[in-house]
Amino acid sequence: MMGPRLPAATAPSQPKSNRRPEPSGTGRRLTIWYGVLIFILAIFIARLFYLQVIRHDYYRAQALADQLKEYTIEAERGVIKAKSGSGQVPLVLNEKLYTLYADPVFIKNARDSADKVAAVMGAKADDYEKLIKTPKTRYVVLERRLSEDQRKKIEELKLPGVGTQPQNYRTYPQGNLAAQVLGFVNNDGEGAYGVEQALDETLKGVPGKLKAITDAEGVPLAASRDNVQIDPRTGKDIVLSLDLGMQKQLEAILKQGLDSSKSASGGALIMEAGNGAIRAMANFPTYDPASYFKNTDAQVFNNALVSSPLEVGSIMKVLTIPAALDQGVVKPDTSYSDPNHWNLDGHEITNIEEIGGPGTRSITDILNRSINTGAVWLLMQMGGQTGQVTDIARERWHDYMVNRYRLGQPTGIEQGYEAEGSIPEPKKGYALQLTYANTSFGQAMTATPLQMAAALAAILNGGTYYRPTLVDSIVDASGKVQIQKPEALRSGVVSPQVGQELKSMMEYAVAHHSFKKPFPANFSVGGKTGTAQIANPSGGYYDDRFNGTYVGFVGGDKVQYVIAVRVNEPKVGKYAGSGAAQPIFGDLAHMLINDFNVIPRSR
Amino acid sequence: MRRHRPDYVIVVLSALLMVIGLVVVYSISPGLSASQHVSQNYFITKQLIDVGLGVVAFGVAAYLPLRRWSGLAGPLAIAAVVSSLVVMFTPINEIYPAHRWIRFGGFSFQVAELIKLSLVVGLAVFMGRQWRRGQLADFNSTLKPLIILLLAVGVVVAKLQSDLGSAVVIIAIMAVMAFSVGIPLKKIAMISAVIAGILVLAIAGTDYRRDRLSAFLHPGIDCQGSSYQACQALTAVGSGGVLGKGLGFGAASYGYLPEASNDSIFAIMAEKLGFIGSSAIIVIYGVFITRLKRLAQRTADQFSRLVVVGVLTWLSTQMIINVGAMLGLLPLKGITLPLVSQGGTSLIFLTAALGLAFQISRYTSYNVTEPKTSSSQGTNDNNFNGRRLRRAYNPSLTSRPRP
Repeated sequence: MMGPRLPAATAPSQPKSNRRPEPSGTGRRLTIWYGVLIFILAIFIARLFYLQVIRHDYYRAQALADQLKEYTIEAERGVIKAKSGSGQVPLVLNEKLYTLYADPVFIKNARDSADKVAAVMGAKADDYEKLIKTPKTRYVVLERRLSEDQRKKIEELKLPGVGTQPQNYRTYPQGNLAAQVLGFVNNDGEGAYGVEQALDETLKGVPGKLKAITDAEGVPLAASRDNVQIDPRTGKDIVLSLDLGMQKQLEAILKQGLDSSKSASGGALIMEAGNGAIRAMANFPTYDPASYFKNTDAQVFNNALVSSPLEVGSIMKVLTIPAALDQGVVKPDTSYSDPNHWNLDGHEITNIEEIGGPGTRSITDILNRSINTGAVWLLMQMGGQTGQVTDIARERWHDYMVNRYRLGQPTGIEQGYEAEGSIPEPKKGYALQLTYANTSFGQAMTATPLQMAAALAAILNGGTYYRPTLVDSIVDASGKVQIQKPEALRSGVVSPQVGQELKSMMEYAVAHHSFKKPFPANFSVGGKTGTAQIANPSGGYYDDRFNGTYVGFVGGDKVQYVIAVRVNEPKVGKYAGSGAAQPIFGDLAHMLINDFNVIPRSR
Repeated sequence: MRRHRPDYVIVVLSALLMVIGLVVVYSISPGLSASQHVSQNYFITKQLIDVGLGVVAFGVAAYLPLRRWSGLAGPLAIAAVVSSLVVMFTPINEIYPAHRWIRFGGFSFQVAELIKLSLVVGLAVFMGRQWRRGQLADFNSTLKPLIILLLAVGVVVAKLQSDLGSAVVIIAIMAVMAFSVGIPLKKIAMISAVIAGILVLAIAGTDYRRDRLSAFLHPGIDCQGSSYQACQALTAVGSGGVLGKGLGFGAASYGYLPEASNDSIFAIMAEKLGFIGSSAIIVIYGVFITRLKRLAQRTADQFSRLVVVGVLTWLSTQMIINVGAMLGLLPLKGITLPLVSQGGTSLIFLTAALGLAFQISRYTSYNVTEPKTSSSQGTNDNNFNGRRLRRAYNPSLTSRPRP
C-alpha cells in the first residue's frame, strides 16, 4: 500500500508532484464557483464599508429618529391644605392610579384581548374591541383610573400591546368640601377651575425630561449612551387661608338657609377685613371633585361668588353712603327732605311702599330703611345739584366705584374664571342720569359678592383695599414656607372716619332688623340687605324674580370679618334680602362669635 | 487511502460561528424576551439546546463510516419524502404560518433542512455513479432524473412549503454539484432556463413574494409597510459604524428589527460589532468556504468530492442569501445565517453535513486531485470504504478484481 503523500499516487497525470498543478476540466469548474463566492463576499465587505463607514451618519440619524424618544416626566403636583385653628388639614392629595392603553399594532386578536381586559375591568368587551381596532394609531386609552389591584391583574394577562401607565390623580379627604374653591385636575393634568386653575403653575412644578432610546413599544432602555434625563421638580404645596371648621359650618348654614328659603342656588363667604384673606367660601349646588367627570353641567364647577356677577341691589348703599360722606357733600347727621320719587330721563325712581311717602330722612335712614331715592339724592349731592345726576356726580361716583372700590375689574383672587362685573361709563351711552341713579342702589351695574365684600372691608378697616386671597402660604418641596403677605392694592379708599360712621350705621341697621337670635352686646355686628331685581334678557326687569343679597360684618372695636351672602331667586315673598339672605348672615355671625375668637369690644 | 489527521479548521470555524451566535443571542435576549413576553433565558436556553444537538449531529456524522453514508442515501430520501407528506398534514397557525414545520411537543422540525441533507448525499451517490458510468451527458439516465427531481423538490419546497429561500439553496446545491461533476454546460444552461421559469412563476404567484421583490427593487418607498424589515435591517447595519455600538447596546433587537435572533441576526451583529466585526464574520465564512473548497479538491473519490461541494454550496448560498438581504443587495428570504442564527433544524442538519465533510477531511491526498470523467479508465469499487488507496489514476490497480 502506498501512503497518500507519496508522489507516485498521482503520478501519471501530474508528473511534477511537488508543484500544485493548474486545475483543469471539472476541477476548474469548482474553482470558478469558488471565485464567484469569494467575489460575492468581497462585494459584501464593500457594501458593509459603504453602509457602515460612508453612510454611517445617515443611518445613525435614521436609527435615532426611530428609537430616540423624548418623554415628559410628570412632576408630582403640590397638595392643597386648609388651616384648622393653628394647624393644617389636607384638602387635596395625590393618588397613583393607572391608565390602561393599547398599541393596536401589537394586537393580533382584538376580540380575544378585549375579552380578557373586559373580564378584569368588569366592562363591555365590545367597547374595548372597537377602541383596539382604531385605525392608524399606536396608542389608544382603554380605561383610566385603574387601581393597583386591577393593574396587577392586567399585567398578569401578559397581553402583547396592552399596558398600563401610572398617573397621579387628585383625591379629596374632605369629600366635596370647598369643591368650587379647589377646582380639579383634568385628564390632561391641567388644573381646571378654582385654585387648581389659578395656581396651576405653582402646583404643577416643573416636568422633567427623559430623552431615551426605547424599544419598539416605547419602553426606555437603560443601556444607551444617548439617554438624557432631567429630573422633574415637584410642585409646591398650597396652604389655603380657608379654615376647615369655618368652611364646614358655613357650608352647613348656607345649605340650610337655601333650603328654608326654597332657593336652588346661592353662596356665602367670610373674609378677614384686615388683610383680605378668605376664611370660608362656598356655593350651592356643588359637585364632587373626585368624580367631576360625571357632571354634565360645567356651570356647577364655577365658584359663583367669584365668577358670576349680578346686579347686587341695595347692598350697594353701603358703598354709596361712604362715597358721599368721604367727599364731604353730606355729614352722617345730615337730614334732608326726601320726595319719594325722582323723574330722570323720563323714568320714575320710587321706593318700596313701607317707606311711607315723602318726608324728612337721615343718612342712617337711607341705609336702615333702604331708601332708593335717598341713595339717588346722595349721588345728586356729589354733583351739587338736587334733582339732577350731573356729569360731575357721575364722574365722581364712577371714580369711587372703579378706582376706590375696584368694581368692574377682577380682584385677583386665586380662582379660575374670575368675572369682573360691569360699571357703566359716566359719559357714554343713553339715559345716563337714570342709569347712574340706578347704580346708587345696585341696579344697572353688576358685581360679584366677592368684589362687594372686598370693597366693604376696605371701607371698614380704615381705608385699605386688600387683594382678596385664598392663599395663606406656599410650601416648596424642600419644606421652605413662604407666607403670603397681605397685598394692599389701594390705601385711603375712604377716610377712617367715614369707615367708623358706616360701621355705626350698619350696626344700627342690624339692631333695627329682626334676627332669630339677638347678638351679644359686646360684639359689633352690622349689615345691609339687598333685594335685587333680575334683568330680563328681553328688556326691563322681571316682576316676580329677585335675588337676595346681604353684606355685613362681625367684630368688636375693629371690624374683624366681612360676610357676603347671595341667595338666587328664593321663594320667600317680596323681600329676598331680608327674607332669605339675612338669616344666613345671622347664623354666620353667631357662628363666628361663638367659635372663632372674635375680639369683643373693649368697653 | 489511509485515515489521517482530519482538518480541524472545520471544527474550529464551526465552533467559532456557533459561539458567536450564542453570544449575540444572549446579548439580545433582554430585548427579545421583552417584546415577545417570554422569560429572559428562553432564547439562550433554546439556542444552547440547539447547539448541543448540533454538536451531537456533528459527532455522529463525523464518525459514522463513510461507506454507510452512501448507503444512507436511500433511507434519507425516503425520510425526506415522508416528512414532506407529513408536513402537509400539520396544521398551520399564527406562529407557523406555512406547511414548513413538523411539530411534536415543544419542538419543531423544518422539513426543507432534511431535504437539503438527503439531496447532498443522494446526489453525490447518483452523480458519482453516473460519472463513473460516463453517462453524465446522457439525457435519459442522468439529466431527465435530475430535472424531474429538481421540479419535484422545487414544487414541494417553494410551493407546498412556501419556502422560496430554501428552494433557492436547494437548487443551488443541485446546480453546483451538477456543474462541478462535469455535466456539459449546454445541458446546465437548459436546466437553468427551467429554474428561471420556476422562479418567475413562484414569485409572480405569491402576493408576499411580489411585495418583497418590489420592496427590494424600490427600497425606502414603504419603510412602514412592506419594506419595514429591509429598512430596519439597513438602519441597524448602517448605525453600527466602524466599531459598532457594543454587545450590550443598540436598540434594533428591541422590537424594531423583526426576526432579530433569526433571519436578521447578521444586521444585529453589524449594529453591535460595526464594520470591523461584521466584515470579520464575512471573512470567517470566506475562510470556511476556502477550506471546504480546498478539501473538495483533495478528496479521494467522486462521492466525497461531491458531498463536500454540496456542503460548501449549502453553507455559502444560504449565507449569501441571508447576508445579501440584510445588506439590501438581495430580496428578503426567510432563511437563517448558517451556524449563527437561532433555528434548531437548520443548525443540526448543517452541522451534520459539516461533520460529514470533517470525516472526509481524514481521507484527503496531499495534492489537488482531479477525478477522471471517463468510464473507460475503469471505475472505483462501488462501496469505497475510505481506507483504501485512491486508484482512479491507475487503471492497472483499479481493474484488479477485489478479494
